[in-house]
Amino acid sequence: MIESAFLAGLIKVLFVGIIITAAYLITARNLMSLVSVYSLQSFTLVIIALLLYLIEGSPVLLAIAAITFASKVLIIPYFIATIQEKIRIKRDIQFHFLSPTSSLLLSMGLMLLVYIALSQVMEGIAERENLFFFGSVLGISLMLMGMMVTFSRKRALTKVLGFLSMENGVLLFGLFVTELPFIIEFLIVIDLIILVLLTTILTVGLDSTLEDYHKRLHRFHLWEDTEEVA
Amino acid sequence: MSTDFILYLLLNTALVLLIAPLFSGLIKKVKAWTQGRQGPPLFQQYFVLVKLVKKEVIYSPNASWVMRAAPLVNMAAILVAALFVPLVFVPEPVGGIGNIILFMYLLALARFFMALAGLDAGSSFGGMGSSREMSFSAIIEPTTIIVFAALAIVFKSLDIFAMFAGSLATGTLATPTLILIGISLFIILVVETSRIPVDNPETHLELTMVHEGMLLEQSGKNLALMELSAAVKLTIMMALLINLVIPAGLALTLTTAGILLAALLFVLKGSVLAVIIGLFEASMAKKRLFQVPSLFAMAFFFSTLIIIIEVLA
Repeated sequence: MIESAFLAGLIKVLFVGIIITAAYLITARNLMSLVSVYSLQSFTLVIIALLLYLIEGSPVLLAIAAITFASKVLIIPYFIATIQEKIRIKRDIQFHFLSPTSSLLLSMGLMLLVYIALSQVMEGIAERENLFFFGSVLGISLMLMGMMVTFSRKRALTKVLGFLSMENGVLLFGLFVTELPFIIEFLIVIDLIILVLLTTILTVGLDSTLEDYHKRLHRFHLWEDTEEVA
Repeated sequence: MSTDFILYLLLNTALVLLIAPLFSGLIKKVKAWTQGRQGPPLFQQYFVLVKLVKKEVIYSPNASWVMRAAPLVNMAAILVAALFVPLVFVPEPVGGIGNIILFMYLLALARFFMALAGLDAGSSFGGMGSSREMSFSAIIEPTTIIVFAALAIVFKSLDIFAMFAGSLATGTLATPTLILIGISLFIILVVETSRIPVDNPETHLELTMVHEGMLLEQSGKNLALMELSAAVKLTIMMALLINLVIPAGLALTLTTAGILLAALLFVLKGSVLAVIIGLFEASMAKKRLFQVPSLFAMAFFFSTLIIIIEVLA
């Protein structure tokens, strides 16, 4: 049996990994690496869920790890990478409202705020269950950082990545604080997959008319007709 | 001042001077390999220094005493700063040597004189290099202070010797705060030693150059001093990172076997770090001047996070 203090130490190291990936998602400009960083972040969550299973032994955690691995590490990043290859957008260098640097600084303030707010709400837990307290702080911060990515980026693809990383925050918070029923977790994942599928369509044609949209699908090789349109 | 401390002063200075060109040569070699070139021999830096020492020094007719004094002041400041970072042996601190704030300002003094020398010769390249270097240092200074403050809070001391001893006592490299500190220190290292996302150490002719631009008018022995001091600065920044994050093998008592082992381990760890720096540089493009602050913001973010965690938790 592995010591649970050692496992808690490992989880804390993984928290650092999540902070780093979140900071990278805010600042990076290269879409390809954004996608792989997102899948790395999800993979870190999978490992955290597995380590929590070793500490707590509740089988729901195993199921969550499995479903997260299948959907967020493999399927969703694969979809996004495929679209991105087809629409041939490599970089996202346009930002609204906030530059990456100021979003980083702002997210620091947000983390502090979440920390103080949560330590008021969960009085006493902070000392007893250090790990769980940090997990929940990080979960909410990740959510807020994802939100910042969503509104500060201009491209639809990166907005979606921000949204996905928000969902990672919800999952992290759920892992540590509440007993999120498995069925809800499952439904969220399905929602996410549908969202990504929709985005594949919207990314290409949100700003066009329906006729124009059909042409664009051809142009980006997303729709292959067997008959040639005259 | 004990004999131990005097021995430490001699040993540390000798080692840092001896080893510095090796690390910068190794970084060049790794970069060459990743680009599919063979690259200069590993010890080329030593030959270059010897060659430069033999050459005559030529001053521009516009140059004042600053040009003559700058290489010496630069080298002296960097060598004193090198005493603050024990490479292999951590003695009892004596009289403020090891204070991290003083360490920072010694580096700033060296940088200030280098920038003055860049301006002094009156060439437009030197002036541009100096102006850029000073803008960078004005932006990086708050970040450096925050990183060092985080170090001071984590190890509960302003003294680098005490930090190394503290990190040796815990001996763990995988605590969350140390990982974040490691990243922040790595960014500081890249900026302080003018490496790729910030400055390109390879070019003498591009308009983007910062550090090399200031050295354009230097020649002969003075150039050798400048190059050596840059290499020594790289080595002490690397030593700061290595001995905080992976302190294993650092000697606390002065024994021949312990020192030899520590020196061997240090060269080994330093070489690994040099390879990492080389790969990092090869995988990056130089950032535009106005995007460099986002790199600093990253270090700032991580070290502020450390302070928040350490102070509140």
